Amino acid sequence: MSGCGWTLAEVRPVQAGKGKSDELSLYTWTNYVDPPLVEAFTTQTGIRVTYDIFNSNEIMLATFQAGKGSAYSILYPSDYKVEEMIELGFLSELDHTRIDGLSNILPQFQNSAYDPGNRHSIPISWGTTGLIYDADRLNPGPEDWSFLWENLDKLERRITLLDDVREVMGATLRSLGHSYNSTNPQQIKQAYERLVTLKPAVASFNTDAWKEQLLAGDLVLAMVYSADAVRLTKDNPDRNLKYVIPKSGTSLWSDTIVMPKTAPNPEAAYAWINYMLQPSVAAQITQRQYFATPNQAAYDQLPAPLRNNTSLFPPDEILANSERISPIDPKILALYERYWTLLTSS
Amino acid sequence: MSQTAIQNQRSTATDTEFDVELRKVYKVFNGETAVRGVDLGIRRGEFFSILGPSGCGKTTTLRLIAGFETPSTGEILIQGQRVSNVPSYRRPVNTVFQSYALFNHLTVWDNIAFGLRLKKRSKAEIQNRVDEVLKLVKMETFAKRFPVQLSGGQQQRIALARALVNRPAVVLLDEPLGALDLKLRKEMQVELSNLHQELGLTFVMVTHDQEEALSLSDRIAVMNHGKVEQIGSPSQIYECPQTPFVADFIGDTNLLHGKVEGAHPEMLWIVTDKGLRIKVKRAGDGHEPTSGSAVISIRPEKIHFSLTPPSDAVNCFEGRLQTVMYLGTHMHYLVELVSGDQITIMQPNVMHNPPSVETPIYVSWSPLDCLALSTN
Amino acid sequence: MAGQSPPLSKQPSLDTEKVLPKWLEPLFLLAPAGIWLGLLLVIPTLLIFELSLVPNIRPGQVVNPSGLDNYALIFDDIYQKVVLRSLSFAVSTTFFCLLLGFPVAYWIALIVSKRWQNLVLLGFVLPLWTSSLLRSYAWITILRPTGVVNSVITLLSSMTHLTLPPLDILNREPAVLIGMTYSLLPYMVLILYASLEKLDRRLLEAAADLGATPVQTFLKVTVPQTLPGIAAGSLLVFITCLGDFVNPELLGGASSMTVARLIYNQFLGATRNWGFGSALSMILILAVSIAIALLIKYGDAVPKK
Ligand SMILES: Nc1ncnc2c1ncn2[C@@H]1O[C@H](COP(=O)(O)OP(=O)(O)OP(=O)(O)O)[C@@H](O)[C@H]1O
Ligand SMILES: [Mg+2]
Repeated sequence: MSGCGWTLAEVRPVQAGKGKSDELSLYTWTNYVDPPLVEAFTTQTGIRVTYDIFNSNEIMLATFQAGKGSAYSILYPSDYKVEEMIELGFLSELDHTRIDGLSNILPQFQNSAYDPGNRHSIPISWGTTGLIYDADRLNPGPEDWSFLWENLDKLERRITLLDDVREVMGATLRSLGHSYNSTNPQQIKQAYERLVTLKPAVASFNTDAWKEQLLAGDLVLAMVYSADAVRLTKDNPDRNLKYVIPKSGTSLWSDTIVMPKTAPNPEAAYAWINYMLQPSVAAQITQRQYFATPNQAAYDQLPAPLRNNTSLFPPDEILANSERISPIDPKILALYERYWTLLTSS
Repeated sequence: MSQTAIQNQRSTATDTEFDVELRKVYKVFNGETAVRGVDLGIRRGEFFSILGPSGCGKTTTLRLIAGFETPSTGEILIQGQRVSNVPSYRRPVNTVFQSYALFNHLTVWDNIAFGLRLKKRSKAEIQNRVDEVLKLVKMETFAKRFPVQLSGGQQQRIALARALVNRPAVVLLDEPLGALDLKLRKEMQVELSNLHQELGLTFVMVTHDQEEALSLSDRIAVMNHGKVEQIGSPSQIYECPQTPFVADFIGDTNLLHGKVEGAHPEMLWIVTDKGLRIKVKRAGDGHEPTSGSAVISIRPEKIHFSLTPPSDAVNCFEGRLQTVMYLGTHMHYLVELVSGDQITIMQPNVMHNPPSVETPIYVSWSPLDCLALSTN
Repeated sequence: MAGQSPPLSKQPSLDTEKVLPKWLEPLFLLAPAGIWLGLLLVIPTLLIFELSLVPNIRPGQVVNPSGLDNYALIFDDIYQKVVLRSLSFAVSTTFFCLLLGFPVAYWIALIVSKRWQNLVLLGFVLPLWTSSLLRSYAWITILRPTGVVNSVITLLSSMTHLTLPPLDILNREPAVLIGMTYSLLPYMVLILYASLEKLDRRLLEAAADLGATPVQTFLKVTVPQTLPGIAAGSLLVFITCLGDFVNPELLGGASSMTVARLIYNQFLGATRNWGFGSALSMILILAVSIAIALLIKYGDAVPKK
């Protein structure tokens, strides 16, 4: 073992195009798996698809870096992760001449801060972060983040928050009138202190497990991503579940598809990108998985009830209030993380 | 009933001469009867032995007294008190186990002090008594060792000391010398006997070594198949066995089976199955058969032999010398009588040239030296 | 390492027929184990150690060991609290496992008839055949506000017209303790059983004979005689608890950060700092190694001197 100079979790580029030409390997989110979509792709292109799944950006990147990354031609990172992976030099630059239908993407998604000009990533879905609650158990329901602090007595260990520093700290910053991406230590401290007072209400920090707990009645409210909330509401029409986007604003997120430099089969990756950009395919994703689509042509194909679903496609004034979580200076991030550890450790 | 209560009673209770009494005690283990109807009275201060072959119920009897087993029926009294409901830790008895059962996590000293500490004796008293008993068993220098660092004989003595230091009313010893070699065993027998005399406690010892029982005991109970066959002093047991089993088990004997032919107030005539007519002097203890089948027991050392027919023809039979065994201090002869019976003879080694094999000889014994026993 | 032990003897071998020098033979025998240990234990541990010397390292960065900053971090108040909580979970779980496990093991080893012993033991060990994740999930369904326990309490309340308070312990420390104790109890019972089974019953009789009540016999003979088993079981439970991630994560909710969860967070969770995670891991490895060394030294049967 050499004393120094090795790189932690190095991913060495493998010669591109090494894989079998009729095989595509994906690494995607648990809730993006949609077999009919995959079957239709294989019918159209003759390319067989295999996929592995993850449930957090962190695990995805860690697995990728641990060496498994070179097995995949397509990955599904979220916006801020795209930025990080570009910086790490993992993503290949996309050849726009080989991509059809990019123009259907809404302008604000074509030129996002995390990847201007879609040089490395194609957005395929977006959403908000908000609160889902059981209206039979919690009446009146929340309209804004501040509801949580105002109803501490009713919520003792009956809510969950996302297991994500930036989302939770950001929402609290927002409830105090600051930015999701605040770099002001004073404001960050203030947010932490406010969160500490919310701690008795928090059963746990999780991103998935809340669904079943909410349905069972153990929780009355959860901080969640819009896609999960809309899907749960649709799947349980008999339950009085409601999703609210807090009035004072929330975070906007998008998930993307990217091709790593180590992709064994770039041909198939481009085929997949083009397939996902097809308006009918993108519309199907929204209809079946309840992800908001950034694809204007797809949006136009959606049935009216979906198009008018404000949980899925919030009105502009809410969007205007909302922010995208963007990467921040590592020193400030360390401060966030320190408070997060304090919060979760106390 | 506490142990001190029993001990206090010890000095005052004179209503019974027995320290331990068993009355019609039975013990059945899942269908197997280990002890069947044992009646025993063990006197205060006595050295009492229970003797019998392996598996006859000796250990079980001792465990019943110690309280590790409860009688299936019958009752046990210690110093006149029924102990059916007294757990072993409240009985004024201490046991020296067949396997020593020393606590291997404690030193020799702590092993011995175990009982005294439980009784909350003062430090000084414990110190004195443990040191004293260590001296008694000649193990003073081993006080700080652990049991695993001792030889079998040394462990044996510690087991003894651990029981004696408590000065119980009754000391129960289960084959205490069983694991020792002959020489050490002899030494320990002497020590045991001395200890018994010095301390004046009641000793109940289980053994299957008859010599040990005969030499140490005041009285012996011979057990067989869970029953007591006979209780008596060593000489009574040896000289006047009351059953063929006792006669056979204690020492060597010649047993001849036969029938009572004639009974006289002083004498019995018995004809053996092979046709020998034997005259027996009656002991008058009521154990002899007066009719029906009988067994004759003749000790080998009580039989004489000569090369010529003896003048007195009572109990005299002709036979042929079959084997001669040289035993050092004794000679051992096996004779086949004309009737076909085989007789063992033991003679002190005094003859300069013993007769050779196949020599025709005559054997004889006095009617005083043979016993007639009932067969059942 | 085992694979590099020094020559046992410097004398030249007189045995000329042997192809190998005498001192090489043991090396050959030890080689498979040595290589195995080297590859799977020593090298990874060294790698973790090297990482632990790099402050604030994240994936993709150059590993450049530069000091003990990560270890200094551990003395931070928050982390002290986390370490203390982990220790107290481990100590309490060990205590409860002992408290519950001893009577059970005693019962199986000394009271249950020989014929049934194995069956009863099997019954107690059976839960080990299920995944630990599954067992923790089972406790969620039992302890949750709408779970089994609370349904029973509600039922009882309605039957007796008493107002029994609901038991709301999921996502709190008692739930973690219950989960950990349940997970590790079978190990404790197994080890204590092995120890009690070897217990010489005659010693119990000897103690009673010398006047010890059952309680005194237990304290003065049974416990000292089974001390190696008690030590082994306790250390095993303690060590496993220190490293347990599943129970605190699933049952502890937002209220029970432990060292294991903290390590997870450093590698895969929200706050990624592989250097600090490695330092925490090294501390855990060290603590466990010390515990095992103690076990090997003092966990052995009888006192020697
Ligand atoms: N706990 C028990 N369960 C079942 N049977 C038993 C038990 N203890 C003793 N026995 C049986 O009772 C009988 C008498 O046993 P005991 O131990 O009293 O014999 P012993 O005379 O002491 O023999 P030894 O000289 O070999 O020690 C034996 O047949 C034995 O198998
Ligand atoms: Mg015996």
